[in-house]
Amino acid sequence: MSDSDSISTQLNTRGRWPIFIAMCVLAATIIYPLFFVVVTSLRSNVDYKRDPFGLPAVWSVDNYIKLWDEYGVGRAFLNSLFVSMSAVTLILIFATLAGYALAKLPVFGAKYFTATFVSVMLIPGPVLIIPIYLVLARLGIVGDYAGLILVYLATGLPFAIFFLTLTFRAIPEEILDAAKVDGAGFFRTLWSIVRPMGASGIATLAVLQFLGTWNELIFALILIPDAKMKLLTPTLASIGKRFVTDQPLTSAGLFITALVPLLLLTFASKYIMRGLQVGLSR
Amino acid sequence: MMRQSKLIGTLAVLPAFFIVAGFMAFPVMFALYISFTKTNGLTYDWIWFKNYTDIFVDPIVHQVFLNNFKFIISVPLVIFTALITAILLFERFRGWKFFRVIFFLPNVLSVAVIGLIFRNAFGYDGAVNQFLGLFGVEPIQFFIDANYSIFIIILALIWSGFGYQSLLLLAGLTSINPAVFEAAAIDGAGWWRRLWSITLPNIRKVLGFVFIINILYTFASLFGFVFVMTAGGPGYETTTIDFLVYLRAFSSNNLGSGAALAVVLFIFIGLLTLVQNRVFRLQKED
Repeated sequence: MSDSDSISTQLNTRGRWPIFIAMCVLAATIIYPLFFVVVTSLRSNVDYKRDPFGLPAVWSVDNYIKLWDEYGVGRAFLNSLFVSMSAVTLILIFATLAGYALAKLPVFGAKYFTATFVSVMLIPGPVLIIPIYLVLARLGIVGDYAGLILVYLATGLPFAIFFLTLTFRAIPEEILDAAKVDGAGFFRTLWSIVRPMGASGIATLAVLQFLGTWNELIFALILIPDAKMKLLTPTLASIGKRFVTDQPLTSAGLFITALVPLLLLTFASKYIMRGLQVGLSR
Repeated sequence: MMRQSKLIGTLAVLPAFFIVAGFMAFPVMFALYISFTKTNGLTYDWIWFKNYTDIFVDPIVHQVFLNNFKFIISVPLVIFTALITAILLFERFRGWKFFRVIFFLPNVLSVAVIGLIFRNAFGYDGAVNQFLGLFGVEPIQFFIDANYSIFIIILALIWSGFGYQSLLLLAGLTSINPAVFEAAAIDGAGWWRRLWSITLPNIRKVLGFVFIINILYTFASLFGFVFVMTAGGPGYETTTIDFLVYLRAFSSNNLGSGAALAVVLFIFIGLLTLVQNRVFRLQKED
């Protein structure tokens, strides 16, 4: 053992090479399946069966065109985009209001509000399936995006409020006091101080909640029975069931569904990784 | 002035509170009520504990609970993979931040996507069979065999779970005081010795947390995988509790039975969480 190593808490450079290689292998187990999906989606079924591991003899986007136009994936994509954006916007609005109040303002029974938000986070999804369906049916909004968005709002809010309360607590009291002296009211303070100062926390939350609603399957499946209104994940699941023997076609569906989250991870990984740390402190 | 701002604060919390109370808290109470009734969603006949007693003697429910326990095999496997990854990432070799993002990647994908990737890979003309074919092995119908199916779902659990959990464990490792390592190194403790006597004991709290979230995951979040990969089959052999709640809700004429099952699951998970809190509190004291 060399001298430098006896002081270092870590392995020496020579010891690190195997680690680097092991990590590359592990990374490949994640990247290769996705690479395989993308390549497979760009070829015909005949071409795939001829040589599945090679590159396509003819590259084509036919699978995408077929899915998008004929099997309703294009419409489902836009539906999902609409529902996710609406749900995230509403979550941000309500969670910012509640998070700011709980972090910085006196609130009647604040302890009980916080306790409610924290304890409902523990409710497992399956418990909600039947009662939520029945409640929305009674309200007449099963099969309506309003019902689904409401469910995403209710299931997303507890964590969102918890997250933003932590974020807003970091805003220095003096700045809020100064705003008060200047005569800024509740909404003015919220818009001109809390929003910009908590911007990165709000962005993190927006990304996390968007991923959550975009990827959600079970409520999207049971609350929207109408084929024309279906969201992307249930559409993908039914295409997967219908075309078991056409792997290139289902692969194209997979890539369309995964594309938005992958883009978010590429361009907003900073925010996603930051959200992770708060997730741990939960 | 004070009173006025207190009013404003309360008013700001109320909208969120009403939504959460109305569509999270109330439905749970409602599920409890439904579980004591025989109902088709329109009329409710109060039948006391009949749904519960029916569940406890239902062989399908027994089988499904047993299935859930089979999936627990995934827990040590995920944790082991995550732990190794975390320990290696902790070496901070060149480019470790990039690897961190790669390992996190499956976590941004929908369970529908992950499930279908694995269903495709193990399908009759999927990559695995094509690969085995290179060695002259006849294609295997993986999904008509429950053991293969469970194995594939467990593989999907590991694939999609180890990255996130290795990052949780890495956060635990990072919070260990480096002076402890240095002291041990000066005392001549080698890398393995330090791993065993310092690293692992110091992250047992995070390990405990990861353990519990994995258990909860196998009991309440397998719906997506089961739905797209096996639809619970063959028979009920890969049906999990959450999938059975869904089946009972939308294919039987008694929603009360499904609700009772959900309540049992909720109580089970609640108990697990209590145990987790108790364990954490004990560790804080010592």
